[in-house]
Amino acid sequence: MDKPCTLLVHFDKGSAAMANEIKADLEGSDVAAKVEAMKRAVMLLLNGETLPTLFITIVRYVLPSEDHTIQKLLLLYLEIIDKRDAAGRGLPEMILICQNLRNNLQHPNEYIRGVTLRFLCRLSEPEVLEPLVPSILDNLDHRHHFIRRHALSAISSIYRLPHGDQLIPDAPELVERALASEQDASARRNAFLMLCLCGQERAVAYLFSNAERVTEWPDLLQMAAVDLIRKVCRSPNRADKGRYIKIIISLLSSPSTAVVYECAGAIVSLSSAPTAVRAAANTYCQLLSSQSDNNVRLILLDRLNELRTSHRDVMVDVVMDVLRALASPNLDVKRKVLDLVLDLLTPRNVEEVVLYLKKEVVKTQSGELEKGGEYRQMLVQAIHSCAVEYPEVAGSVVHLLMDFLGDTNVAAAVDVVLFVREIIETNPKLRVSMIQRLSDTFYQIRASRVCSIALWILGEYSLSLAEVESAISTIKQCLGDLPFFTVSEEGDTTDSSKPAQPMVNSVTVSSRRPVVLADGTYATQSAATEAISTPSVTPGSFASTLNLRSLILSGDFFLAAVVACTLTKLVLRLEEVQPSKVEANKACTGALLVMTSILQLGLSSYLPQPIDNDSYDRIVLCVRLLCNTGDDVRKIWLKSCRQSFAKMLAEKQYRETEELKAKAQISHAQPDDLIDFYHLKSRRGMSQLELEDEVQDDLKAATGGFTKETDDANRLNRILQLTGFSDPVYAEAFVTVHHYDIVLDVTVINRTKETLQNLCLELATMGDLKLVDRPQNYTLAPESSKQIRANIKVSSTETGVIFGNIVYETSNVMERSVVVLNDIHIDIMDYISPATCADVTFRNMWAEFEWENKVAVNTVIQDEKEFLNHVIKSTNMKCLTPPSALDGECGFLAANLYAKSVFGEDALVNISIEKQVDGKLSGYIRIRSKTQGIALSLGDKITLKQKGGS
Amino acid sequence: MVVLAVSIISKSGKVLASRQFVDMSRIRIEGLLAAFPKLVGTGKQHTYVETENVRYVYQPIEALYLLLITNKQSNILEDLDTLRLLSKLVPEYSPSLDEEGVCKAAFQLIFAFDEALSLGNKENITVAQVIQNCEMESQGEKLHKLVMQSKINDTNEVMRRKVTEIEKIKIERNKTENEKSGPKRTPNNFNDMNRDPVFHDIDLLPNKAKEHPSAPSDALKKAPVKGMVLSKEQKKTDQFIKSLEAEGEVILEDTQLSAIQSRSSSSIPPSDPITVTIEEKLNATVKRDGGVSNFYIQGTLALQVLNDVDGFLQLQIEKQDVPGLTFKTHPNINRELFNGQQIVGATDPNRPFPSGQNETHLVRWRIEGLGESFLPLTVNCWPSVHGNTTNVDIDYEASEMFDLQNVVISIPLPELREAPSVKHIDGEWKYDPRKSVLEWSVILIDQSNRSGSMEFSVPAADPSTFFPISVGFSALNTFSSLKVTAVRPLGEGSSKYSQRVRLVTDKYEVV
Repeated sequence: MDKPCTLLVHFDKGSAAMANEIKADLEGSDVAAKVEAMKRAVMLLLNGETLPTLFITIVRYVLPSEDHTIQKLLLLYLEIIDKRDAAGRGLPEMILICQNLRNNLQHPNEYIRGVTLRFLCRLSEPEVLEPLVPSILDNLDHRHHFIRRHALSAISSIYRLPHGDQLIPDAPELVERALASEQDASARRNAFLMLCLCGQERAVAYLFSNAERVTEWPDLLQMAAVDLIRKVCRSPNRADKGRYIKIIISLLSSPSTAVVYECAGAIVSLSSAPTAVRAAANTYCQLLSSQSDNNVRLILLDRLNELRTSHRDVMVDVVMDVLRALASPNLDVKRKVLDLVLDLLTPRNVEEVVLYLKKEVVKTQSGELEKGGEYRQMLVQAIHSCAVEYPEVAGSVVHLLMDFLGDTNVAAAVDVVLFVREIIETNPKLRVSMIQRLSDTFYQIRASRVCSIALWILGEYSLSLAEVESAISTIKQCLGDLPFFTVSEEGDTTDSSKPAQPMVNSVTVSSRRPVVLADGTYATQSAATEAISTPSVTPGSFASTLNLRSLILSGDFFLAAVVACTLTKLVLRLEEVQPSKVEANKACTGALLVMTSILQLGLSSYLPQPIDNDSYDRIVLCVRLLCNTGDDVRKIWLKSCRQSFAKMLAEKQYRETEELKAKAQISHAQPDDLIDFYHLKSRRGMSQLELEDEVQDDLKAATGGFTKETDDANRLNRILQLTGFSDPVYAEAFVTVHHYDIVLDVTVINRTKETLQNLCLELATMGDLKLVDRPQNYTLAPESSKQIRANIKVSSTETGVIFGNIVYETSNVMERSVVVLNDIHIDIMDYISPATCADVTFRNMWAEFEWENKVAVNTVIQDEKEFLNHVIKSTNMKCLTPPSALDGECGFLAANLYAKSVFGEDALVNISIEKQVDGKLSGYIRIRSKTQGIALSLGDKITLKQKGGS
Repeated sequence: MVVLAVSIISKSGKVLASRQFVDMSRIRIEGLLAAFPKLVGTGKQHTYVETENVRYVYQPIEALYLLLITNKQSNILEDLDTLRLLSKLVPEYSPSLDEEGVCKAAFQLIFAFDEALSLGNKENITVAQVIQNCEMESQGEKLHKLVMQSKINDTNEVMRRKVTEIEKIKIERNKTENEKSGPKRTPNNFNDMNRDPVFHDIDLLPNKAKEHPSAPSDALKKAPVKGMVLSKEQKKTDQFIKSLEAEGEVILEDTQLSAIQSRSSSSIPPSDPITVTIEEKLNATVKRDGGVSNFYIQGTLALQVLNDVDGFLQLQIEKQDVPGLTFKTHPNINRELFNGQQIVGATDPNRPFPSGQNETHLVRWRIEGLGESFLPLTVNCWPSVHGNTTNVDIDYEASEMFDLQNVVISIPLPELREAPSVKHIDGEWKYDPRKSVLEWSVILIDQSNRSGSMEFSVPAADPSTFFPISVGFSALNTFSSLKVTAVRPLGEGSSKYSQRVRLVTDKYEVV
């Protein structure tokens, strides 16, 4: 691993100070100037300068300074300088600082002592530490707790160094003694932590000897104790587990919530017995209700979710406690609670849960909550999925939910209506009452989209004579008196069009906007008016209460077409169930009148835009149908719709179960997987603690300690030759792309018979790349080679180019020679990985993102599917469009692809292609992203790869 | 269970300050911080973000983010506590909550972070405590400094005492040399006796310095010894005085004693009820190639009266006419009496001189227009460059008028790694590497060593670096030769008084 970096400070290049300037200030006696100079020196060091001459100046002029700030800055300086040479040996001049550190450790100012001890914690050079050990140990008994605290930490970190036990062989005894007499909470914690790490049995002994008093310990120490217990119990076959659990249980009543939280985590790791898990779950639930911070709540829910995956049976019991967290005003929390609860449903608790959810829904009606609509939508969705899983509860909720069809929150209303549609299909028992209810509440529906679905339901599921008749009358009622306008009104434009104008305008504006369909294609037809308009204001005061009328008068002819279809369907059904032919014909003519009125309205100049062709065709089709019916048509209208809907539901369910199955598959091991037997695992080179220590692993992962094992063969593929074979210096590089950085391992070989001096690998970058270190000079013996490593920071997904030179001097040629290197191209594909997102989010992002790159399709591939697969493969993206939607041979294909970069950027791609008559594919690939980089680089990539072949 | 790092970044993602508490490579931390702004969503009501490996807990502060990076197993309750503390600390140290302010205070912030989180472990600490810890005000250190100061004072005192001892030994030696007929054994004896307490004092110095109160008792102890010696040597007193006169000593024996005493124990109340201090300060700037500017003497006559009863008094003084001498008297001093009868007395005879431990300045005078020939000590410095080294020859010449004590000639040197090599010296030298000054000290310049020289060499340096040379000394007689001959009590006060006379350098430089 690279040298650890302990601090970062923003450094403005503009204020770069020359080393000599700093030196002059350091040598002066002005304290303020010295402080500034030290700061600048530290910043320069952080910025990659080495400032080798400064060390002696600092030793001479800064070490003796009495000023506290200077002393602290000096410690920072010492912290960041290289204390080892290239071979890893300690630099001899480091001994120079020993005396000063020793003085500091005996300084009368307790804070100087303290900060020096703290600095020593970060020091790992035994040759520097060794002479200081006696002074450190002396500080253990200092009367000031600030010093004792840090002395204990220093001892701990020194003892943990390689060979640290030789520096302070009796450290655990000393610390144990100190711990026994220590009063300060922090110092005790540090001592206890030291024992945990270096002398576990001592720590355990201390814990047990104080088991009675653990509850009175300060919270810092309690935390350390919990930590110890976790560690100790990780080793198998602890016979005394009970004692630990007893301590943990007693700590659960600690006044510090942090300790309680930690304990709950510890219990689960100690035991998987239901009692223990229940205790943990209860603790989490308690915290969930007592902590008002959203962060805490969300993380607690994560913990509960973890418990759910491993101990679902226990978690089922606390489901009501979890539900109580719905009281939180935060939507994220609510969403998480609902997700968690939905996973915990059993036939036993579903009633109770749904009851609770129902109560919550009722609460949202009071309108006190902000974002009540969104919340209601979430609740509706939750109830929906409850009902899907346990159809028996649907009956108890569906009526309640139907009250929300007229909700002003369109999304919630849509959810409700979709729910109703699904339930009415899957739950035939409820059909009668639901149709009844729908007819009753239909007039409340305000949104066009909801209206059309509701109309479909009415048309499809009104079966009995009474139902059909009530449905027809409901629709007619909502349409109001016919015709929609009178001729006089038409002439008298000034009167009525004026108030109508604003509303109509808003609709036109929204409907003129190109709309993206679910499959990503553009649509300009009104078929896609997705209830964008708020269904409130209506033209003319006379129609204000009639929802269908006002919507149609506002120019929504798509809805008008739906009305026409529904009426047709109802009339066709009426003809089947109505014994009296007269009644049926009456209804038929009534329907025809409505349709013709709509057509008349559409073709008149009353509305600023006439009826669109699609709607017109549909209405005319309905008119024709009613005039001339046949069995085939009847079958299509009355059966096939229903069948295809049922098929869609089945498909959806099938996909869901497939996904579940796939998920379940993943968690299982492959038959030929290697099985790690915990007890047989090699312990070579590993301490007991590190073994299977997930905390450590977690920490290591967080600090970037894990580097993925790349197989060498793969590595060799990525070798880049940087210079020619006949150049005096040959160079080649491995390029390894990590998350946020690129590492170039450059091998430089001197091909001449001379020594190359001051050989320097100079790199420059283009794009969003930044060099981390400054290049260093090397001397290369004749025909020898050298490995140079260069780190390059990447901050966004973009294709980058690295240029470089190798510069060197030889003894006989005075001027420097330069070898120019091949450019290294960094591929965007290394950063992006396939990801999924919901349809809605995709479309939102598509609408939101500013950068679009449109690439015309130009390929030799003849088959649409094949082309799609090729693009998916070459761009490393995931196809969001379900395979079922891509089935069939129709000569068209539209699909959405999605990927995420390691920096969290989204890359959206839409492919729309069409097969030409000559068999070639034509169309466009559109790439959208938030930043220009992705759109451009991905576009380049696609242009390059789409030709196919490779 | 540790915090990996605390950072402050601007909303645009610029890292302003970051402190890491566990070992992680630079590229890693920079990567984590660079990724953060992209992960922060807007419109969220929670302030943490989790990635695959780490959790960021953050708090927006105006145009900045303060964030903790922890591992995912970290205890969120603790981390939020810590974050709250840190967010209170930032405004304490940063003058303004924007990029500029934080950049300015970056180091202070890092120090504060260190206090709030010791090596990543949470500390139970308040904002006030953090500030206190960062200020590093320590009683211990103050105490230590006081002790050190008093040690230095004590050492100075011992040094002064030693000076007078040596002086006396010298005098004694002179006297015995003069007195050829005296028994040989006696001077040895005298020397032994005299030397003993001196060395005794030096040996015990470190111990004594600690117990400050012991100093006066020391001084008191010495007095009887001296008295005994003197009385023992009663017969030789005449010779003693004679030898003194031969050396040009004008001061009476008991005045000298009191002067020594007063200097050696400035903090001790004088035993005499009335003390008169006559002090002259010499100011001169001498050019290195001859000529003098700014040469003047400032003198004061100060009176200290211990008891109120003794306050009604007049001083009979004796002054000589020196060219360029002007007197100024305190407004409450009767000028006519002073000019006419050379008496220092109050204008209002019913008002006593103030009493107590403080000295009252009664008369001030100034002597100006003195020529170079009046300088008590002239210093010549001759730097010369020889290849890689610069040899410096310095000599001094003291005028006959004064016997100079504690002469210190400080020569500034170029920054040196080691002390200069001194080839020849009359007296002692000391090199102070911190100020890089060579101090040449001669304890007493009298008849025996009116001139002296010193030679040293340093690595090649510009001759001007050896200037300005500052010179310090003191003497027991003055330019104006003003003296108090008697104290006349106006009431029933005592007429016993002690008188201290001295000449010291205020600022004497060779430029």
